[in-house]
Amino acid sequence: MFAHIFNYRLKCLLRDKITIFWTIAFPLILAIFFKLAFSNIGNQEVFKVIDIAVVENSQYQEDQNFRLALDEVSKGDSRLFNITVATAEEAKKLLDENLIKGYIIVDNQIKLVVKESGLSQNIIKSFIDNYLQTVSAASTIIQNDPSNQQEILKSLADRKNYIKEVTGTGAKPNSILNYFYSLIAMACFYGGFFGMRETTDIQANISTLAARINVAPVHKLKTFLYSLCAALLIHSVEMLALLGFMHYVLKIEFGYRAGFVVLTTIIGSIAGVLMGALISATVKKSEGLKVAAVLTISMLGSFLAGMMFQDMKYIIAQNVPILSYINPINLLTDALYSLYYYDNLSRYFLNMVFLSVFTILATFGTYLILRRRKYASL
Amino acid sequence: MVIKVKNLVKRYSELIALDHLSFSVRKGEIFGLLGPNGSGKTTAINCILSLLKYDKGEIEIFDKPMTPEAYDIKRNIGIVMQNVAVYNELSVYENIDYFCGLYVKDKNLRKKLVDEAIEFVDLNDYRKFYPNKLSGGLLRRLNIACGIAHKPELIILDEPTVAVDPQSRNKILEGIKELNKKGATIIYTSHYMEEVEQICSRIMIIDKGRAIATGTKEELKAMITLGEKITVESYDISEEHLIRLKNLPNIVSVEYKEQLLEIKSSKGKNNLENVLEFIKRENIQFGKIYSELPTLNDVFLEITGKELRD
Repeated sequence: MFAHIFNYRLKCLLRDKITIFWTIAFPLILAIFFKLAFSNIGNQEVFKVIDIAVVENSQYQEDQNFRLALDEVSKGDSRLFNITVATAEEAKKLLDENLIKGYIIVDNQIKLVVKESGLSQNIIKSFIDNYLQTVSAASTIIQNDPSNQQEILKSLADRKNYIKEVTGTGAKPNSILNYFYSLIAMACFYGGFFGMRETTDIQANISTLAARINVAPVHKLKTFLYSLCAALLIHSVEMLALLGFMHYVLKIEFGYRAGFVVLTTIIGSIAGVLMGALISATVKKSEGLKVAAVLTISMLGSFLAGMMFQDMKYIIAQNVPILSYINPINLLTDALYSLYYYDNLSRYFLNMVFLSVFTILATFGTYLILRRRKYASL
Repeated sequence: MVIKVKNLVKRYSELIALDHLSFSVRKGEIFGLLGPNGSGKTTAINCILSLLKYDKGEIEIFDKPMTPEAYDIKRNIGIVMQNVAVYNELSVYENIDYFCGLYVKDKNLRKKLVDEAIEFVDLNDYRKFYPNKLSGGLLRRLNIACGIAHKPELIILDEPTVAVDPQSRNKILEGIKELNKKGATIIYTSHYMEEVEQICSRIMIIDKGRAIATGTKEELKAMITLGEKITVESYDISEEHLIRLKNLPNIVSVEYKEQLLEIKSSKGKNNLENVLEFIKRENIQFGKIYSELPTLNDVFLEITGKELRD
C-alpha cells in the first residue's frame, strides 16, 4: 500500500505546477536576482583612485614634507590619488570641467578647493587633516625630545593595522552570505505548500477528495504519512538542487562542512513541510486563506531573519532575542551562518535543537488535529 | 439486510438535520432516497459512511456496526460523491487505478478491474486525458468509475447526475441498472423524481430529516387519494366551463392557469373519455391533451403540502 500511495502522490505533486513554482522555481529566480543585486553592490565598493591637482607655487615647493606625503599616497596600485601639478588657473579649469575632484593650494595653510561635497572630497580632506595632525604631533614630540628625531618620524610613518577579519573555520568572510542563507531557509519553509496540500487532501471536512479517501479501507493517518513521505522527498530534492545551483552556478560559499550544510537543509525542508501541514490543519477556512497564511509566515520569518535587510537579524537578536529562537527561519539561517563562520559547533547545535523542537511540535500538533475520525460537519 | 439505520439523529446546533431517521436496505435492491435539497439525504449518507458524527442512533452495514475503522465493511462499499472527487494531476486511468488500489492490492487484478471500469463508463477514448480536459458529463462518469472500479457489494451514489447533460444522464442511469443486475446493492439519492422513479426498486421520501414515506413507487402512489391527471392546452376556457367540469363524476379538482387546464380525478377512476366528450360538446378549441398517472411529486405534494422542487 505504501508504494501505491507514495508513487501516485509523487506523480500528483510533481505535476502540481503552482506548488512546484513556489517551492523551487521562485527561490531559484530569487537567488539569481540576489546574485545580480549583490554583485553590483560589490562593484560599487571597489575604490576608484581620486584625481586631484596641486597648485604649483613656491610654498608647495618649499614644503618638502607635504610633497613627500603626497608622493607616498599617489604611487603604486593601491594609491589614493592621481596628482596633477598645475597653475591656479589650470587647476580651476580642471575642476570646472570635472576632471578632478578638488585641488590643493599650499599657502600659509593647506587649503582644499572643491566644487561639491562627496565621498572623494571627504577623503581628500581627511588626508589633509591627517597630515596636519601628524605634522603637529611630530613637532611637539621633537620639541620635547630632539635626540630621537629620526626614530619618532619613522614610528609616526609606520602605521600598523592590528585587526584582521577572519572566520573561525578559515572560510573567506563575506557580508552578503546571510541573504542567501535566509533565502535557503525561506525556500525550506515554502515546503509548507506541500504540507498544506497533504493536510487538505486528508481532511474530509475540507475537501470531497479527502472524504473519498476517508471512506477507503486504509487508515487515514497511514495514507497521510505515506503521502507526506512523497512530499518530503520532492521538497528535499528541490532544496538540494537549490543548494547545488547556488554553490556551483552562483558560486555562493557554504564553508567547509558540506555534510552538515546538506543535513541542515534537509532538516529545514522537513520543518517547512510540517509547518505547512500544521497551518493547514489549524486554519479551517478556504485554501486561499491557507496559502496566504503559509506565505505570510514564511515571508515574515524571512524578513526577521534578515533576508530583505541584513541588520534586522541583529536588531531582533539585540532587542527581542526570544523571537530569534522561535522563528524557525532565523534558526535555519543562523545554523548555516554558524557552519560557515564558527569553528565551534555549539551555536549550530543550539539552533538545530530549537529547530528540531519546532518540528516535533508541528508534527504533534498536526497529529492531534488529523487523528479525528469523524467530523461534526462536512 | 445490507444496511440498517435506526433512530438516527443529527443536529447542527439548533437545526435538526436528521430526525429519528430509520430505514433498511435489502440485498440486491436499488434503494432511492428522494427529497428536496437540504432534506438530509447527503447528511444521512455521510453518517452511514462514518464521516459525520451523529447525536443518536445505530447504523449497521452487512450486519455489523459501522465505524471509521470498520475496514472489512469499507472494503465492500463504493461511494460516488455529489461533487466530483478526483485528482486533477492524474489522468483518467491513473485516477481510477489510484482509488481502486486503495481497495485491491493485487496489481493484475487491479489492472483488469480498472479496464472494466473504463469500459463500463465508456471512457476508453479518454484514458490519458486529465480531468480538466473532460466535459461535465465525462467528469461525472470518471467520478463514478473511481467509486465502483473495485466492484463493491454496496454502491452509494449521492446525486451523481447533478449538472449532467441528458445523454450522459441516461448513460449513468443505464449503468446503475447494469451494476445492480450484476449483483450490487445500490443506494441512490436524488431530488429528480423521474430518475428515482425510473431506476429504484424501493424509495424513501425524506423531508426535513424525516422519512415521510417508504415503499415501491406503486406503493407510494397508492398512499394518496389522487388518481389520473388530465392536462389540456387551451385558451378557450371560461369560468362556466370550469364549474361544469367540476360537476362531472370522480373529479377531485379543476384548475386553469396559463392556458393549461388541469383536471385531477379520484384514485382508480378514469375520466379521459368524459373530458373529451365535454370538450367536443362545448366546442372548446384545444392544442394538446394528455393524461398521466400520479407522480412521486404528487405523493410528496399530498403528504407535505409542497412540491419536491421547492
